[in-house]
Amino acid sequence: MKTIPSDIGGEPAGPVDTIDHGMKHWERQANAFRSVVQMHGITRTDELRRAAEELGSRYKDMHYFEITTSAMRAVLLEKGLFTEQELAAKMAEIRARFDVPDEMDSPIKKAASK
Amino acid sequence: MSTTPFDHYARGHHDHDHAHDHDHDDHQQPNPANEHDNGPPGEYEIMSRAMQELLEAKGIISAEQVRKRMELFDEEFPYRGAQVVARAWVDAAFKTRLIADGRAACAEMGALLEAERLIAVENTPDVHNIIVCTLCSCYPRALLGMPPTWYKSRNYRSRVVFEPRAVLREFGTELPDNVTVRVHDSNADMRYLVVPMRPAGTEGWSEEKLAGLISRDMLVGVTVPRVPV
Repeated sequence: MKTIPSDIGGEPAGPVDTIDHGMKHWERQANAFRSVVQMHGITRTDELRRAAEELGSRYKDMHYFEITTSAMRAVLLEKGLFTEQELAAKMAEIRARFDVPDEMDSPIKKAASK
Repeated sequence: MSTTPFDHYARGHHDHDHAHDHDHDDHQQPNPANEHDNGPPGEYEIMSRAMQELLEAKGIISAEQVRKRMELFDEEFPYRGAQVVARAWVDAAFKTRLIADGRAACAEMGALLEAERLIAVENTPDVHNIIVCTLCSCYPRALLGMPPTWYKSRNYRSRVVFEPRAVLREFGTELPDNVTVRVHDSNADMRYLVVPMRPAGTEGWSEEKLAGLISRDMLVGVTVPRVPV
């Protein structure tokens, strides 16, 4: 009987896409952040995996770094590193930071319109 | 450089080295799979960034530590595994120590590993080894860098344990029938490294030249080293 969503070894599945698609910038940040948190002994790999497994039916529809980020959130909340309220406030602050008033001034937009 | 805690215009810098011919109208789509990573940030990007900033504000970690870690993952970790194996190819005593205690042998070369144990498994004319982490993505990152996309994929994790030869063929690797294929399933405390066979025709090569022959895929066991003809 299947109890955890990550236990997929031995299941039938399709061909392997053997191309390495690399990582997006935010994924590199998320990975480095997790690595630093682990180095400080704040979390352990098995704790993060357990938290990922607790995503249950959501697990299979999420991308890899979405899973690891959700797991990190759950474990840091459990350990009291910050509260739900603090995290929500900080996320709102960051979202606002991205709300660029004149996006045509963005170097990315300028480069793209060349 | 921006002095704000996070310069979002810097995002995706490394993703723009390749040529691409489509336009950038996809900026406004809040799509987490946005390949170019330069539109509005997704929910998980904001979440990850927020957690980092909260721990920074509490003085638990620093932005500098995270930045340094990104550099190590990009510039140093991906090359260490090849250096370790090249050393093992030229130095039999080192190879013995690597097989006996992978973690200690890597430490000799200045590579400190994240997991408790590193088990180096040696390919021979009779045995070929492959590594996987069926449950997640455990991988000797301090030796190989970040796992490639396929290592984390459902298809690889599901199938390599019961039809490794079929998976190997998808990587273009065909092994003789008499070779035993062993698949090693990693976990949080125990990582594997494949030590491939040193190819014929490399007699007298320097350690550095040998390291240039060794790719990540060989150290996971999905390909084998060959001397370019």
